[in-house]
Amino acid sequence: MLIPLQLFAAADYYTFDSPEQQQRFTTLTSELRCLVCQNQNLAESNAPLANDLRTQIYQKVLTGQSDKQIIDYLVARYGNFVLYRPPLNFSTFGLWFGPFILLLVGIAYLIYYLKREHRT
Amino acid sequence: MKTFRYLLPFIIFFSIIILLWRGLALHPNQIPSPLLNKSTPQYSLPNLFDANHPTTQKDLLGKVTLVNVWASWCPACAEEHEYLVQLAQEQNINFYGINYKDDSAAALKILKTAGNPYKIVAIDQSGNAAIDWGVYGAPETFIVDKKGIIRYKQIGPITPDIWDNKLKSIVNQLENEN
Amino acid sequence: MIPELGSFAIILALIFALIQFSAGLLIKKIERAREFSVAAASGQFIFLAFAMLCLIISFLNNDMTVVYVREHSHALLPFIYRIGAAWGGHEGSVLLWCVILSGWTMAFIIFNRQHGQLNNYMVSILGFVSTGFLTFLLMTSNPFLRDFPSAPITGDDLTPVLQDPGLIFHPPMLYLGYVGFAIGFAFAIATLLLGKLDKSWARDCRPWIILPWSFLSCGIVLGSWWAYRELGWGGWWFWDPVENASLLPWLSATALIHTLIVCEKRNAFKGWAILLAIVTFSLSLLGTFLVRSGVLVSVHAFASDPTRGIFLLGYLALIIGGALLLYCGRIKHFYQAPEFEIFSRETFLLINGIFLLSAVATIVLGTLYPIILDALDYGKISVGEPYFNTVFVPIILPLLLLMGLAPHVHWGQQAIKPLWNKLRLDIFLSLALGFAGPLLFGFAFHWLAAIGISFSFWIMIATLHFFLRLQTKLDLKYSSMLVAHIGIAIIALGITVNKSYSEERQVKLFPGESVELAGYSFKLENISETKGINYQSLAAQFSIQHFTQKPYSLIAEQRIYSSHDQSLSKPGILANGWRDLYIALGAALPDGSWSVRIYYKPLVRWIWAGGFFLLIGGFLSLLYSWQSRRN
Repeated sequence: MLIPLQLFAAADYYTFDSPEQQQRFTTLTSELRCLVCQNQNLAESNAPLANDLRTQIYQKVLTGQSDKQIIDYLVARYGNFVLYRPPLNFSTFGLWFGPFILLLVGIAYLIYYLKREHRT
Repeated sequence: MKTFRYLLPFIIFFSIIILLWRGLALHPNQIPSPLLNKSTPQYSLPNLFDANHPTTQKDLLGKVTLVNVWASWCPACAEEHEYLVQLAQEQNINFYGINYKDDSAAALKILKTAGNPYKIVAIDQSGNAAIDWGVYGAPETFIVDKKGIIRYKQIGPITPDIWDNKLKSIVNQLENEN
Repeated sequence: MIPELGSFAIILALIFALIQFSAGLLIKKIERAREFSVAAASGQFIFLAFAMLCLIISFLNNDMTVVYVREHSHALLPFIYRIGAAWGGHEGSVLLWCVILSGWTMAFIIFNRQHGQLNNYMVSILGFVSTGFLTFLLMTSNPFLRDFPSAPITGDDLTPVLQDPGLIFHPPMLYLGYVGFAIGFAFAIATLLLGKLDKSWARDCRPWIILPWSFLSCGIVLGSWWAYRELGWGGWWFWDPVENASLLPWLSATALIHTLIVCEKRNAFKGWAILLAIVTFSLSLLGTFLVRSGVLVSVHAFASDPTRGIFLLGYLALIIGGALLLYCGRIKHFYQAPEFEIFSRETFLLINGIFLLSAVATIVLGTLYPIILDALDYGKISVGEPYFNTVFVPIILPLLLLMGLAPHVHWGQQAIKPLWNKLRLDIFLSLALGFAGPLLFGFAFHWLAAIGISFSFWIMIATLHFFLRLQTKLDLKYSSMLVAHIGIAIIALGITVNKSYSEERQVKLFPGESVELAGYSFKLENISETKGINYQSLAAQFSIQHFTQKPYSLIAEQRIYSSHDQSLSKPGILANGWRDLYIALGAALPDGSWSVRIYYKPLVRWIWAGGFFLLIGGFLSLLYSWQSRRN
């Protein structure tokens, strides 16, 4: 006997026109910082402000605004603090490239050290 | 050369110590406003004191205004409220309120019982207008100059200390500007 | 009375710590110095244990005249959480720190065979560390301060998020790890002071690094599991500054353990080992500072206080700065020219060290960068998960490759061709499993998933291959490596699959409605009100059905604790060996429906199971050390 698993299908809390929009919304809200509960992202915070911002982002995604537009909108109001993914600019150059530079320096030093010690 | 190599860990460590020492004097959870030295946002909101005439950013022009974001449910706002009333009365400070995500009846009740420092109060029920101002918690106070440019943002309640040491001189300086 | 006794006990412990510190340095006769310092260390431990007992008793009695108890306990707080609350706040956790440091000192004194100048120096240095922390405790963070109120009070209550079994185990485990690295640190300093190393030093030192490392692994895993259950978001790692602070010494200690292996087998890298021992404990201290100073915003941060921050920073500067200057001055006594070819196991272990230290540097950079920019007046930024995931993964992936490869590389020198012949089947198998495996289970193809799974299987296959090919019989020496490396592979596999194939939905549900996710059907049966000891809760009863199997039932709650206004979401979790189904109840909506989040999380438990393997690996290594000492 076929058991009907769902008589009434639940409505998604945020409904979108396409899975891509859904994915964009999820990614955007998870990479934005809640300003009230500063240790949570917008996707997970229950703060009223987070709710309001989520709603605004939801509407913007629905009306076709791009990720950049949405991010610029929030940064214009709250500054770079709201971004969990720091922007890439002059002041964050050290942040984004530092790790790889350090690794390369470490490896370069290793090679130099090995070569030098084996020459003597 | 060899000595430098062995001194490197100490140098790196010492730099971190200096950084952290500087860091102790900072406030990492206070978000600076990106709206400094920019025009106030544009808005049109109902006026708590005048149901027929909405208030807009034009009401901020021509005088130095302290735009204070507050709500009846906010305990820190209650803390500063008495002092704001005092400032409004004694020093003739021009306060403009934004009532944030609040119940108008409750807001009016507070102003009746605890005093009213505001010339105008804009009702931002949804909180969306406040988002344009970069508000993330109440109370927050913006000092707006005569041309409608935001010149300073105070996060948290205004205490006599903060007024005397910081805000008073800013307001005076802006008053003397054209 | 009891709090006063506790306070007094701390003062006595401090005096003993001072004696412990000075005895080793001032008394010239080795045996005499040892007598004094051991007696002092024992005294310190006894009084600190007593102080901790006083604090716990104050909590059990709910003595609200003690400020710390009032701030962290409540009349209705369950018994077991009152004990955990003893270390749930800043002051109590510093006391715990001191107790555990003293305990490690005692363990070292009791279990370490050598009695010599080195030992005396070590006990003395441990005494110095203890003195610093006890002074900090007494002057800025005394848990026994009293305040006599005029009316009876019920207390502020322990933060609801902390009212969980995790509180009982996670901090002590972490501290057993963090603080245990002090022994390695003391060893490094004592060695530098003495200017020479014993023949068997690496073998003697290793258990004192591996045991804290095991505890720290366990502590980190416990923290992750606790956050997953408690924070209602289904996440298990957030790159929060305090989490980073616990990972840093772990990475450094891992590098140290591997360096010590080379020290023991090939008598090389002594300078590295000493530096790493200093760095590891320095990272522990740095982490301790970061959590309590207020320089960083963190979910774990204790109440921040700049005075405490300055004190700790000064202490840090003194002890680590001194150590690193000593290192600079004395390390040349330990230099050794390398006696290995470029392509050899030694080189690979060096590369391992470089990658691990790069990982450390990266995490430090990301964690401190907001402070750098703020201090330079460049504004405030946030550095979060997207950053760390982007930079950390490329550093870890090569390490995973090395992990499987290095055991097959000979000491001294290794030719490449035979190595390739030996391992090419393993490589092929790993790639096949990584790329085809998920497809076989019905998952979509993702590049990162394929790579992560391949690398995880590579470690498992190559390590097992190495183990099976060992000519000598199964012994403890390699079995610890086997278990620990496989543990890492399991963690990597769990992380990869979980990150790539998790699914979630956020829905509005009326009672009676169901929602589908990942082939499961979740039906909200009803919502009822229940009560706990110190909270009221709205409990949502769900039934979960998978095809035609019998439905499971699961409860997700929203709890409101009587002492706090905010509600705490207690998710319902249905776990088996392959996946977790996770339901978090949100807010009630105006139309009578409920906001609910549902997650499907494959292999998330493997992340913690892998940690368990690390613990076993650590203990196997200890068994081996103990066994080889007996022979």
